[in-house]
Amino acid sequence: MAGKGDKPAKADKSAAVAKSSKGRKKETGLGLTNTKDGNFGEWYSEVVTNGEMIEYYEISGCYILRPWTMAIWEIMQNFFDPEIKTMNIKTCYFPLFVSNNVLQKEKDHIEGFAPEVAWVTRSGDSDLEVPIAIRPTSETVMYPYFSKWIRGHRDLPLRLNQWCNVVRWEFSNPTPFIRSREFLWQEGHTAFATKEEADTEVLEILELYRRLYEEYLAVPVVKGRKSELEKFAGGLYTTSVEAFIPNTGRGVQGATSHCLGQNFAKMFEINFEDEKGEKAMVWQNSWAYSTRTIGVMVMVHGDDKGLVLPPKVSAVQVIVVHVPYKDADVKEIINACSATVKTLCDAGIRAEADLRENYSPGWKYSHWEMKGVPLRIEIGPKDLANKQARAVRRDNGAKVDIPMADLVDSVKGMLDTIQQNMFDVAKEKRDACIQVTKTWDEFIEALGQKKLILAPWCDEEEVEKEVKAKTKGETGAAKTLCSPLEQPELPEGTLCFASGKPAKKWTYWGRSY
Amino acid sequence: MGALRLPSLTSIFTVSSARSSLFPRRSSNRLNVRRLTSSAKVFAKATEVAPAESNQKLPVQEQGITPRSQDFNAWYLDVISMAELADYGPVRGTMVIRPYGYAIWEAIQDYLNVKFKETGHSNMYFPQFIPYSFIEKEASHVEGFSPELALVTVGGGKELEEKLVVRPTSETIVNHMFTQWIQSYRDLPLMINQWANVTRWEMRTKPFIRTLEFLWQEGHTAHATPEEAEKEAMQMIDVYTKFAYEQAAIPVIPGRKSRVETFAGADRTYTIEAMMGDRKALQAGTSHNLGQNFSRAFGTQFADENGQRQHVWQTSWAISTRFVGGIIMTHGDDAGLMLPPRLASVQVVIVPIWKKANEKNEVLDAALSVKDVLHSAGIKVKLDDSDQRTPGWKFNFWEMKGVPLRIEIGPRDVSSGSVVVSRRDIPGKPGKVFGISMESSVLVPYIKEKLDEIQSSLLDKAIAFRDSNIVDVSSYDELKVAISQGKWARGPWVGSDEDELKVKEETGATIRCYPFDQPQGPKKCLMTGSPADEVAIFAKSY
Repeated sequence: MAGKGDKPAKADKSAAVAKSSKGRKKETGLGLTNTKDGNFGEWYSEVVTNGEMIEYYEISGCYILRPWTMAIWEIMQNFFDPEIKTMNIKTCYFPLFVSNNVLQKEKDHIEGFAPEVAWVTRSGDSDLEVPIAIRPTSETVMYPYFSKWIRGHRDLPLRLNQWCNVVRWEFSNPTPFIRSREFLWQEGHTAFATKEEADTEVLEILELYRRLYEEYLAVPVVKGRKSELEKFAGGLYTTSVEAFIPNTGRGVQGATSHCLGQNFAKMFEINFEDEKGEKAMVWQNSWAYSTRTIGVMVMVHGDDKGLVLPPKVSAVQVIVVHVPYKDADVKEIINACSATVKTLCDAGIRAEADLRENYSPGWKYSHWEMKGVPLRIEIGPKDLANKQARAVRRDNGAKVDIPMADLVDSVKGMLDTIQQNMFDVAKEKRDACIQVTKTWDEFIEALGQKKLILAPWCDEEEVEKEVKAKTKGETGAAKTLCSPLEQPELPEGTLCFASGKPAKKWTYWGRSY
Repeated sequence: MGALRLPSLTSIFTVSSARSSLFPRRSSNRLNVRRLTSSAKVFAKATEVAPAESNQKLPVQEQGITPRSQDFNAWYLDVISMAELADYGPVRGTMVIRPYGYAIWEAIQDYLNVKFKETGHSNMYFPQFIPYSFIEKEASHVEGFSPELALVTVGGGKELEEKLVVRPTSETIVNHMFTQWIQSYRDLPLMINQWANVTRWEMRTKPFIRTLEFLWQEGHTAHATPEEAEKEAMQMIDVYTKFAYEQAAIPVIPGRKSRVETFAGADRTYTIEAMMGDRKALQAGTSHNLGQNFSRAFGTQFADENGQRQHVWQTSWAISTRFVGGIIMTHGDDAGLMLPPRLASVQVVIVPIWKKANEKNEVLDAALSVKDVLHSAGIKVKLDDSDQRTPGWKFNFWEMKGVPLRIEIGPRDVSSGSVVVSRRDIPGKPGKVFGISMESSVLVPYIKEKLDEIQSSLLDKAIAFRDSNIVDVSSYDELKVAISQGKWARGPWVGSDEDELKVKEETGATIRCYPFDQPQGPKKCLMTGSPADEVAIFAKSY
């Protein structure tokens, strides 16, 4: 296989694995033992570990985020942070530790989070007088300060964001990125004089989240509003971007933008003097996206060879591999590879060369495919002679010979195409899963077929609870994912699929992460 | 006055009174709460001020901050509160970093993150929770850190099987992973960095300088040879030194720590020591050569080119939000903060001045266009166009916030097409220049030049201050005198650990470092009189 210049076909991949584990033992084992369609869960944890994104360690539900992950996280930060700064949202940092009485301040809120809190009970050799909580989210940490800092209408709006870690000690099925006990996120917290301003911001942030998923991660999402049952504990309403994983038929909440209304303002006494000198309460929002985004991206795009990374977020966009032949001038090929990398880097493309001599080209192809690098460039003696390079796309395996004279433009064009194609393919797959159901029987059938169900609904909490109870099974119950902001037409007289009452809206349903 | 202030201020950080002031009885005058953060004087005064009226005013205008020359500590706490850099957290010894303070940290991050990547390091993120058994593996490490460890024993309503340490630093978990990632010499060097929060349950706390939780970056590297590890440790202390000089205008002294002050688990610790405005020393960044201490404890081995198993050689290095405290305490004067232009989130503030209503529009228009000109030239500029405050109030406010340059624009300036530019670092008339053209071709280069001048002037001032407060001593008596005068003492030293502890007990001073920059010639230890190879710097420190 070595030096053949082709990426290994599925059949000889097992050979590659055997060879690598026998020949040179590298902790990056090559090849996956599970397939995406065969055993999704196992496939996923294999992909994130073999792709060198995640490392497990002794504490269940906590993961080490390796450079391959952090580069993606940083690229997303580099998009999102300047965007919110132009909205005049400022960065700050609130403490990790929350005292119990602050945590208890908002009743509905704490009921939602209390079971998941981790407690510091000792310092050094002594017990603390009062245990101290580690933030599961920062509403209750921040809002006493909002109360302190906001006096008059001129102090509004107060718009803050922080990048930090949070801890939720859950017991259900920890999954890297998707559900972990510690994760990284940004949490925005803002206060306004009027509800209108708060409403506007909720949607502006939601749009940024959509762009993050669709433009950066190439994952199609639905912008929508959460049901009463699914909204943020203690808030007024919750909007979210919802993604869908066709293989498991599960929805996944991608990011949320909440309007908290005045509930927290009331609890924390966040008042201000309005322009008429009268006392008023602020309107608040909070919004967050987390490292979960990365997990959604892996689940949507990954394949049986490993990760498939969208060019925009990949730490390495182009990997250049030299393909030496017995009699060829290796040095010349290596020089050509280095020159290629330099040309690409100078043009602002993130390119690297893999010139290791202790690995065969075939091994390298598998390695970088596992890591999901969008484009591979191979340079061998024939390419050198023809003043060209072979480019191989990770997303569809397509191979093109590109003239060196046109290197930068060709590569740029291909990266754009890959980014767009990944989104298009993902959208096509997602759309193919959308099933409109109008009756209970249709609903159950679609649920069994792992569909993303769009159904007319009466929007009653009791009905959602009933649906949950009736669909409860080993794989979890069906629930509302969101009611899309862009509502299809709902003809007069349409009935709720579950209750038979008049439907008020179209809502997405499904099992979810 | 200073004496009055201190109790209420320090109590914020020493006892858990924070909570009671955060949740005051709301029936009482709400303002009192706020005043607690500034000073006792304000607190007393607040009762005399009607709430509605005082809502319109910031405390700073009413009584200003404690002069730096009068009470350095009170000045520091006042500046932090009134310049809105930070607030105290809900749990004793924690702090809330407010946007104006966080922006300084972001500027530090922006610079260092690039430098780390240029020197071949990748960012990653290790979990915050470390199994207690990891910490125990390196004996001196656990001994050094155990009194300060915060332990999680309950999670999700259940007692945990193994208690978890909230990371005080990550050497142990890093080594646990390095052991799995490193197989052969080809996997070396392994060079990573993370930006994270860490926790040390300290008893004496002070905003930015020492808090239970703080933010930092921690670099961790593994190498095949001791020479490479040493080179890396030196390279990183050099990155820190350059950063301190060139960005923060802090003339730190780089050097090596004494055995007593070496990091728990390191062979050698390098440090940058900064002299604060009160002449106390601040350890502003450290870089450790860990030798094989952790790799032996964790079995972190690699196969070398001959197939021999060897333990890796390691380093770790860190700079934290403590550095922000260092910037505040290095620069500044009685009027407040003084930010080095390269780290200031607002480099230029524009204050428009008008008296009559008909002047307002033209002045504001001119101010806006000046703002645009500077903004598009990449200068961080803020226009303070609120009509609630007088120009005089704004001058004081932005001076207190430490903005390096102020541009004033009044009706007469508009008609002459020029502006007035004032430097923060040169108070009053001497720092004020009239008639600078608004033309972008004139104004932009002028402002950039002034910012550069301020940057280097702050550094020069700090160097002069530092050098005039370091005394060369040749005997213990001379050392005592220097320390009692609040100065740093530099003298030849080969004393034992016990001698060093004796100096600490008797004078309160510790060895800050053996500076890299050593005087030539034969020396005799100031304590023992034996021949000495090196001079050490002694000082009281934070």
